[in-house]
Amino acid sequence: MSSEEEILKRFAAIEQAREFYIIGKKVSRVDALDAVLGRPMYTGDLVTGDFLFVKAVRSPYAHALIKGIDTSRALKQRGIEAVITHRDIPGENDAGSLIPDRPLLAVDKVRHYGEAVALVAGSRVEDVEEAVRLVDVEYEPLPVVKDPFTAMKPDAPKIQNRDNIVTHFKIRKGNIEEGFSKADIIVENTYKTQFMDGLPLETEVAYAFPEKDGRITCISSMQNPFDVYNKVVKILGVEPEDVRVIQAATGGGFGPKSDETPIDIAAYACLAVKKTGKPAFAVFTREEATTVQCKRHAFTIKHKTGATRDGKLVVWKSELVADTGAYISKGHLVIARATFHCTGPYEVPHVWADGYCVLTNNTMAGSTRGFGAPQAHFAAELQMDTLARKLGMDPVEIRARNILRPGSLTATSQRIDDAGLEICFGKAVETARWHQKRREYEEFNKTSSRIKKGIGIALLYHGNTLGPEGEDFATVHVRIEEDGDVVVQTGLTEYGTGALTSLAIVVAEILGIPAGWVRVERPDTSAVTSPGPTVASRTTVIGGRAAADAATQLRDRLAEVAARLLECSPSELVFKDGVVSVGGDEKRSIGFRELVSEAVKRGVELRVRGYYMAPPTKWDPETGQGAPYNQYTFGALVSEVEVDTETGLVVVKRMTAAYDAGRVINPLGLLAVIEGGSIQGLGHALTEEIIHEEGVVVNPSLHGYIIPTTNEAPEWIEPIAVESPGRIGVFGAKAMGEIPVVLPMASIANAVAHAIGVFIRETPLKPERVLKAIREERER
Amino acid sequence: MAEELIRIKLTVNGREYEVGLEGNERLIDVLRDRLGLKSVKEGCGEGDCGLCLVLADGVPIHSCLMMAFQAEGKEITTVEGLGDEKNLHPIQRAFIDVGAVQCGYCIPAAILAAKHLIDTTKNPSREEIRRSLRSVLCRCGSYLRFEQAILKVVGRT
Repeated sequence: MSSEEEILKRFAAIEQAREFYIIGKKVSRVDALDAVLGRPMYTGDLVTGDFLFVKAVRSPYAHALIKGIDTSRALKQRGIEAVITHRDIPGENDAGSLIPDRPLLAVDKVRHYGEAVALVAGSRVEDVEEAVRLVDVEYEPLPVVKDPFTAMKPDAPKIQNRDNIVTHFKIRKGNIEEGFSKADIIVENTYKTQFMDGLPLETEVAYAFPEKDGRITCISSMQNPFDVYNKVVKILGVEPEDVRVIQAATGGGFGPKSDETPIDIAAYACLAVKKTGKPAFAVFTREEATTVQCKRHAFTIKHKTGATRDGKLVVWKSELVADTGAYISKGHLVIARATFHCTGPYEVPHVWADGYCVLTNNTMAGSTRGFGAPQAHFAAELQMDTLARKLGMDPVEIRARNILRPGSLTATSQRIDDAGLEICFGKAVETARWHQKRREYEEFNKTSSRIKKGIGIALLYHGNTLGPEGEDFATVHVRIEEDGDVVVQTGLTEYGTGALTSLAIVVAEILGIPAGWVRVERPDTSAVTSPGPTVASRTTVIGGRAAADAATQLRDRLAEVAARLLECSPSELVFKDGVVSVGGDEKRSIGFRELVSEAVKRGVELRVRGYYMAPPTKWDPETGQGAPYNQYTFGALVSEVEVDTETGLVVVKRMTAAYDAGRVINPLGLLAVIEGGSIQGLGHALTEEIIHEEGVVVNPSLHGYIIPTTNEAPEWIEPIAVESPGRIGVFGAKAMGEIPVVLPMASIANAVAHAIGVFIRETPLKPERVLKAIREERER
Repeated sequence: MAEELIRIKLTVNGREYEVGLEGNERLIDVLRDRLGLKSVKEGCGEGDCGLCLVLADGVPIHSCLMMAFQAEGKEITTVEGLGDEKNLHPIQRAFIDVGAVQCGYCIPAAILAAKHLIDTTKNPSREEIRRSLRSVLCRCGSYLRFEQAILKVVGRT
């Protein structure tokens, strides 16, 4: 079977009965041809001529006072043009992406290992590296606050001039005393997840140069050019029109490229330009990137869950503690998302949850693909399987009794209005042949002493887009050139998700032209208005609505011209296959390009700005009750594993992944995102772990921090697309970018528990941890 | 620019070059900075990620670990030497068709690793396909897409 056929087959349900022209059809990424030719220009590929290298002087301590900074030896080093400390920042020394708690360059204190204290700029990288060592910083070490529970004690050293507890986020639903009194069975467990790195393979990089008029242009790798732009303007202390930020091709985002470090790297390059008047290039080494880039929060989650004898959930009490490191970044929002989702996608009448985001002297945690959801689902889904085991029920059976169905109320009492979860759950169980496999593996394990097989499941709900996390709007500019080519430009960015291809598809759909006629231009802060951030899997969903708005405006303008030429009313016109006709009548039609040229002749403006703002979401901050999100994505992931009980090695053989994408805009893109996210999540489950010792990151490399290779990828991932349209997304689309990374930890851990008979409630499931669990189980 | 210490001859994508080198230049630096072959990426600089993979006399090597002078007399292939827009190499075509491209950063290296496999192994097994690609990291996780692309080129899908 050819691969096209394979894709068609897998998405057969979507391909059939499709009322759309392009949406849901196989469309290659707009940037795929360039990519296979090696042509996309990433920031480092654009650097030319003479320029200065900029490198940061970084703290070797996790917590220390700065008693003095002496730059004189560094300045004497050959080829050094500038050494910059906090004293040399012309504007505000503030690089916090959302909360102004983080200086770009440390002033009197460093709060985490690797915090930047000074910058050195010079013409040769070797000289700059040497000069970095010659900046003399006098430190006075302070006690290191290593974990959030120490930080929460009243007498703990303060990381910042504020309480170490940043947020206490609450959910209060029903009455938990009443709930526990009704429960026949109660299970209580503690779960721990590790710090992880989103780890885009292109590290943070920026190239800045002065324009003839003194303005500074900065090309960089990032998700949010406008966040970077706004901060750089303030740090430089210049007028908004004095800076221009352009996103180059970006080698992966995964969250870290959305918050803190892209601001830092752009500011480093721009400050050097400002100080010297020369072009400047700043790039993180892998070690720097892995050390200072925002991590996935390490969580400790305590769950106490009660159910009736027949497996119906009645009560759920949770405490979630997230270690956000030395600065808040997006930690206050991550804890909110994790707490909102802490019971998993189940209906529970009585819920009490406390979520705490806590400062420590660990390296900063912030946005990472999934944003608190992987940790929340890991704990909730293992809790469900634990309950099932205690009740002697199959994991599928206990889920069937409790999942969110149309009319169900979530932990925040939000009413669910679609059947996406039911459908995903049913399809995943059926496709994976759950019951048969479960029996087969149990039989196999009876006679196999070394290799044990297991199958596990986890279910997902994921509140869409920003919800409580910010203003959920987008802008997309679309223009039609005189030759009829359509150009989409937006500050929303492409960094691998394929979302800009989705925007092109939406525009092509509405204008009835082949997707190949639509071109997407690079984001440039001087050419477009702020589009809101490219985060929270919102580009297709929300950006798509703005693209649809723009395309509809253009279509209306063209329809007016066509109606005159074809002597009909605009409402009778059909835009399809690059032809505009009266009700599909070939004889009364005009080619799209010809129509464009007629419109241009008549002076019709074919350049518009599309806009969309999602309805604001409402919930009570004291009880968490309300509707925090406009719609939910649902999903189910079945994982099949083999555990080597002598080495502790876990191998994921197969995954069956059913996701409710609301409306599949681009099946080929969705397939890659589902497979890729599942594999990334597999790494989170089994190997990935940023290790802090006394706050020091001890494994900041790709041989110390192990991400999956082809060898670890499952033999097969069976993707299943479900379409249960959402309320706000373009054509019903739901968020998918982050989603597939959420469930693997939970699903794999449940499969391992099935294989070895014992739950491992701490990630990653590395060999020594698995062996220890097996040993303890045997000794019991 | 420091003093040139060594002059070497090498062939890159079928064209002969003579390059004067500083002693510490790596092959990746010569390919990117002197010859303008920007498809060769650097993800770690220490041989872990494989994004700088090029073919030297048909064999995949990490160009961040090979000193430029070691490339004397060798024939180097980068993605720029495979196909062009009008005439894509079958692997490039297959990568587009199966939807292998996500962020794109590892794609040149993955294509070269796949080319080496196809050039040297008749009818590769799935294990051989996996092994051939394992030195190239893809954080977007397109590994199953790469495998499908290779299977497509060898006519097994």
